Amino acid sequence: MSKVVSAQEAISTYLKPGDMIAIGGFVTNRRPYGLVREIIKQRIGNLYIEGGPSGGEIDMLIGAGLVTAINISYIANSGFSQVCRRFRNAIEKEHSLLFEDYSLDVQTIAYHGAALGLSYMPVKNMLGTDLERKWGISEEERKKHPKLPAKKFVIQEDPFDPGSKLCLVPTPKIDVALVHAQVASPDGTCRINGPQFQDMDIAMAAKHTIISADRIVSDDEIRHNPELNTLTGLVVDAVVPMAFGCHPSQCFGVHDMDPRFFIKYEQVSKSGEAFDAFIKEYVDDVADHNEYLDKWGASNLLNLRVQEGVGYVPGLKRK
Amino acid sequence: MEWTTKQMMAIALSRELENGKTYIVGTGLPLIGATLAKNTHAPTASLLLESGLFEGNPQEVPTSVSDLRLNYHASALWPQYRYFAFQSVYAKRGLIDKGFLGGAQIDPYGNLNSTSIGDYFAPHSRFTGSGGANGIATYCDTVTVMKHEKRRFTENIDYVTSPGWVDGPNGRANAGLDPNKGPRAVITEYCVLRFGEDKRMYLAEYFEGCTPEFIQENTGFELDLSKAVPAEPPTKEVLEILKTKVDPTGLMT
Repeated sequence: MSKVVSAQEAISTYLKPGDMIAIGGFVTNRRPYGLVREIIKQRIGNLYIEGGPSGGEIDMLIGAGLVTAINISYIANSGFSQVCRRFRNAIEKEHSLLFEDYSLDVQTIAYHGAALGLSYMPVKNMLGTDLERKWGISEEERKKHPKLPAKKFVIQEDPFDPGSKLCLVPTPKIDVALVHAQVASPDGTCRINGPQFQDMDIAMAAKHTIISADRIVSDDEIRHNPELNTLTGLVVDAVVPMAFGCHPSQCFGVHDMDPRFFIKYEQVSKSGEAFDAFIKEYVDDVADHNEYLDKWGASNLLNLRVQEGVGYVPGLKRK
Repeated sequence: MEWTTKQMMAIALSRELENGKTYIVGTGLPLIGATLAKNTHAPTASLLLESGLFEGNPQEVPTSVSDLRLNYHASALWPQYRYFAFQSVYAKRGLIDKGFLGGAQIDPYGNLNSTSIGDYFAPHSRFTGSGGANGIATYCDTVTVMKHEKRRFTENIDYVTSPGWVDGPNGRANAGLDPNKGPRAVITEYCVLRFGEDKRMYLAEYFEGCTPEFIQENTGFELDLSKAVPAEPPTKEVLEILKTKVDPTGLMT
């Protein structure tokens, strides 16, 4: 049975207001921007976010007012926005976002625990710091949010190393994982080339996984080399064909970042008004992903294709 | 002087690396300093990035720790949980020499803030948060790169993101952290600071154009100046490699 659907159908079928989502990739690398734009287009709100190494796409969800709470360790468009600006605005000015700080290691390990079906993971991190002492979301507040665990963590003596402390971190209950892959086939099998970051774990942990893919190949074709495949279709609910689906972020073996987007976003995300106009122009007023790509121009996008053997665009203008 | 402040910082950073040892680097100056070391006195030093990229040899200055430019000639691209396992296990075995960090505020014990300035819940400035820094500071010896200002070098920082020596010689053990790991150096545009027996920062080396008194004036807590010596100026050769090979477009220096 084919799982190939449009972004519109995938998001409206599997994502509900109030869900907890996790997003694949790493900051400016292989972040599934196309699927995130569809969430914004459909204004599916009250979301709980497992950010991991977050980038501008989560900043766009925050700016669009769709996020209730975020578990965070990092959010930037590195090299362009040193800290994402709608995130800053929500915390510094509007106080409109619940946030809980972890370290990236802890989030990564928690996602792995969630993929193993465990309720918590023990770590050594955060001890002796304000990550231990200060809770962004109180136990009282947590009671109002069934999607959040009752505590940020529990500190306990290591039963196998008496006298030594461990921090037990709850694993997230992810409703929907969004992942961009270079290749997928209709039955949901997919192949991520290059670094996987946390993608296998969030896909395994989530109740539903939506894949956008640069290229769709036949089920026969992708099974010629199962050793190269990342996810079996058994953990994938929907496959969305989307060339340049993680634009403006990078896609290993396919295309480099698009600095034009990140430079523009650094400017527009400085004010609510400019941000809203940007969302109108690049999300609401474009019918679909193809129209979005047209706005960036075919020749410009083709020039972002990586040079084989090097793996990026040599001399790409990044300022 | 024939060099810029940032070039001097990159050169001071590069001096923290040794041949055959393994380092965790971020982007920006630490990566420039580490790449410079690989091109000069430490060609067999190995560089790791928290995104899971092992031993890359970037030919162009990368924009982020996950930049495709860092995959060039890398030995492995691991999923992140494998990378973090490597970091904690190999650090415990003593096989990671140092990790490089940056931050907005630091206290005399090297505790570091990269989370927010002001009240945590309604901050004046909110930053990215820990990223991988907390884990690096938990498991490894560290070198921190900081902008040297009185308000950034302060007795009490607004948020402790990454542990230093906590509050003194027993601080890490009391907190449940490895007492033998911790901050080793802080590098600023003026100087290199290190940590004494009391685990407080002292002035170790000051760069050309600075005096120990000037550095004390720009530091929000008392520094021991008694061991301070002038830093060795960069050699012509090293400066040339930095300018022509490591950062030829001046993206970072």
